Amino acid sequence: MRPYDNTMINALRNVAYDFEQEKSASFLVSDLEVLDAHSASDAIEILPISIALEKYEWLSKLSYTLVPKDKDEYVKQVADNENKLGYFIRVKAGEKVLLPLYTCYMIDTNSFTQCTHNIIIAEEGAEFHLISGCTSSAHALSGRHIGVTEYFIKENAVVTSTMIHSWGKEIEVYPRSAAHVGKNGKFVSSYIALSSVKKIQMDPLALIEEGGLGEFYSVIYAHEGSSFDVGSTVLLNGKGASSQIISRVVSNGGDVITRGKIIAHAPGGQGTMACNGLLLNKKGMIHAIPELIGNDPETELSHEASVGMISKEELSYLMASGIEEEQARSLIIEGFLDLHIPSLPEYLQRQINDIVKKTKASDTL
Amino acid sequence: MDANLLDITSLHVSVGDKEIIKGIDLTIKKGEVHVLFGPNGSGKSTLLGAIMQLPGYTITQGSIQIHGNDTQELSTDAVANLGVGLSFQHPPKIKGVTLSRFLKSINRCDDLDHAITALNMEPFLERELNVGFSGGELKRAEILKLYAQNPDLLLIDEPESGVDIENITIISNTINAMLQKESPMKTRSHSALIITHTGHILNTIHADVGHVFMDGKIICSGNPMDILDDIRKDGFSGCIRCIQREKDKK
Repeated sequence: MRPYDNTMINALRNVAYDFEQEKSASFLVSDLEVLDAHSASDAIEILPISIALEKYEWLSKLSYTLVPKDKDEYVKQVADNENKLGYFIRVKAGEKVLLPLYTCYMIDTNSFTQCTHNIIIAEEGAEFHLISGCTSSAHALSGRHIGVTEYFIKENAVVTSTMIHSWGKEIEVYPRSAAHVGKNGKFVSSYIALSSVKKIQMDPLALIEEGGLGEFYSVIYAHEGSSFDVGSTVLLNGKGASSQIISRVVSNGGDVITRGKIIAHAPGGQGTMACNGLLLNKKGMIHAIPELIGNDPETELSHEASVGMISKEELSYLMASGIEEEQARSLIIEGFLDLHIPSLPEYLQRQINDIVKKTKASDTL
Repeated sequence: MDANLLDITSLHVSVGDKEIIKGIDLTIKKGEVHVLFGPNGSGKSTLLGAIMQLPGYTITQGSIQIHGNDTQELSTDAVANLGVGLSFQHPPKIKGVTLSRFLKSINRCDDLDHAITALNMEPFLERELNVGFSGGELKRAEILKLYAQNPDLLLIDEPESGVDIENITIISNTINAMLQKESPMKTRSHSALIITHTGHILNTIHADVGHVFMDGKIICSGNPMDILDDIRKDGFSGCIRCIQREKDKK
């Protein structure tokens, strides 16, 4: 381990973890070692999960209630792991934290398997913005990251969670996450993966109670040799609960299965979904699987899905303005991948756009 | 001596298997503004698409030269970079690309801010290109695009279509500024070929030459206001009768 050397600093910057950035709290792990866990705000408690489990007896009972230990072999592997690696974040009731919290997991050793378990609690009326990065250093060519994350979002609480992945070509990633969104709570989750990876497979779950909102955005650029199977499942449990799932996928030779499932159990449930895929060549594949299940007549669920190539009409329009073909393609692809999340605060939207631009610039887009 | 800005000779253009342009000759000199009148489906927009080398338009005979350069083998962007700009009648929506990002990619003028203000486009700069724009907003965005591009030859497809009087005035003022209408004819460097279905645009833009375009051919050329008066009086069918009379006399 060579903490804070330039290679590491650059790898972390690719997933938005910048040492110079002002943060409300931060948590940084390399392989198994917690390099940083501190809060700059009284409103936030951030601890390594091992310490939190010792500090709070109730936490072990809460653990694995949203993501059961027997869900699959990956969760079991995390639960059975003797190294209790992960973070515990609690934002206190009524506290609204404007500066984002930053967390980052890094794989620094070749062929390393990193198992993590995170618990995030937003108490009643709390509001905070989490930016999580996951990356590997240049010399960690292969490896595995298996991460379990449980979000407990209480009544009237607001949590935005932006996850940025930038892994190596031979790394496999199995995130397992679930969120419980209490009455009138709000959870906005964004996932950005623009670099090469061997395989990412996940299907996060959200249970939304009365009047609550769950929004899920994902932006994926799949390079040749990369395989993604990603999506979100949302259960609209309470009256008037709502959800939006939006995914934008570009395949430049990679295979992507993009899933979305909204299940409405209660009256007044509303859900919309848009899965759009852009295929840049014949080497890759995009399989969009939108699913809507309504169990109550007073629900409104809809979806749109598209998979295709870059529109010739758009391309020739840009070229007629003097933009050469390759540049016109890049402009369309970048635009397609630009996240616009109406429910994010403007400063955070700007920051995320900057992150995406930097990540794009550092890759081969 | 300067070459003509646009020289079209014996041009035939097909879309798919169908011949749309059936042999036309047209010359536009530096500083001239030409208008094309013609009924729907006569091939006016096809002519602009063929000049721009847009995909789908196949030149089967004849040639198009810009500043003396044959465009037959050129790509659309290469034609644009010879100094040609096209204001589309139905521009596509491009999600994710903001108007400001687009303008930044094409801008070749020094006073774009002036045009943005004149065309009331400030509120649209961070909007996605043409997404959710009204008819007038689409036209204003297209004219702003041309202003940024600063081409020698402006191809403008029905600038007044679906636009209210206020927007026609705003659009015309900027087109006139691009065409340097305040300067003497001999010092103007920009030219235009404007398609008009109704002729309303001639109330605010002075054109030098008018052409009646029917069934893929230019059947008549002359003073644009005189031609417009005739069309308003007798319609395009009057043009056909007039041509027939001319033929009969011969």
